[in-house]
Amino acid sequence: MKFSKYIFIILVSFSAFSCSDDVCNEETKSTLNLTFNVKDEALTDLGFVDNLSIYSPEWTDSIHFSDENESGDSFLGFMLSPYSDTSEIIITSTTATEQDTLIILTQREQIFLSKECGFITKFLIDTVLYTLNYIDSIEINEDEITTAKNGEIQLYF
Amino acid sequence: MVRFSYIFSLIFLVFFSYYSYGQDEDTLYVPQKEKVPLVLKGMKVGVNVGRFSDYLFKPERTSYEASFDFNISNKYFGVIEGGFSEISIEKDNYDYTSEGSFVKAGVDFNMLKKYPSDYFGIGVRLGRASFKHSASNIIYNDIHWPIQSFSVDSKSYTTYWLEVSLGIKGELLKNVYFGWSALIRVGISGRKDEQFQPYDIPGFGKGESTVNLGANYYIYYQIPFNKNK
Repeated sequence: MKFSKYIFIILVSFSAFSCSDDVCNEETKSTLNLTFNVKDEALTDLGFVDNLSIYSPEWTDSIHFSDENESGDSFLGFMLSPYSDTSEIIITSTTATEQDTLIILTQREQIFLSKECGFITKFLIDTVLYTLNYIDSIEINEDEITTAKNGEIQLYF
Repeated sequence: MVRFSYIFSLIFLVFFSYYSYGQDEDTLYVPQKEKVPLVLKGMKVGVNVGRFSDYLFKPERTSYEASFDFNISNKYFGVIEGGFSEISIEKDNYDYTSEGSFVKAGVDFNMLKKYPSDYFGIGVRLGRASFKHSASNIIYNDIHWPIQSFSVDSKSYTTYWLEVSLGIKGELLKNVYFGWSALIRVGISGRKDEQFQPYDIPGFGKGESTVNLGANYYIYYQIPFNKNK
């Protein structure tokens, strides 16, 4: 059999192509975790954290600590604004008369993750400004916020 | 007389053996490799028909690739390949476009001796791609933040890679060849962008990968000349 015949058989029988289900199977949200540490006994007695909620003036809803922490975790996770370097977050509790405001200033990078998933945002926290109604101090434990959900700010009340 | 005959025979035998041994040393035949003169035997022009499978398997990409090679004594082939690639992705959460061209230059070495007009061998290429990409209508579907869209400006790149192939070519019709080759491409420089990673680099493949595997399916036409040599 001529060598070229082998080639023809291989060409006909072999085809290389790749398939994709076009579904994003990767994490795309870069989540910042807020953790709470209450040292003020008056706030502990009020159940300040158990009734705590956060929201942004740009949101149409709130995130409630009681809803998010049924599994026993003691933090609230959310995404900073993907469209602005400044995110304003209000911290309130149904058992408290006042509220606190966090203004989180970041640098943003848009990263093209994949054809299926599109873009993700990576944040780097520059500064956090905050009011002192109930907040005593804050600590930025991890300033890089990625889809690994590792960004963390700890709030002390 | 008999004893004399034995002695003569022994002397003859020893002398003949020694003489024969000496002859072996003097005339020992060492096969000389016949040097094949390097002669330009023809040129082939080819089209990568595998690229047309993009219409089925990678509809977001439109690409063309052609090849030009010099056949030197059916043993060495100087190869220049080039092409063009355009990508357009329209998704719910972003639009992406990319376009660019590539060129590869290198040599193929034919390991076949039995079928001088066919080819089974290895090849090495150095590839270079120039391309640009951009994205628009990028949207994040976060349940809290109101939906807005934004764009990423066009960015340009020049990428280099090294390519090794193992392939076959056969003359199915007169001067018409079909060929297939398996490829491994190793990126050298210019393909990484942590912020806006290219989706596909023309001629190289996935932008995020340092090593890409692939296959080529070519149809060639050989322009024959120098047949008498």
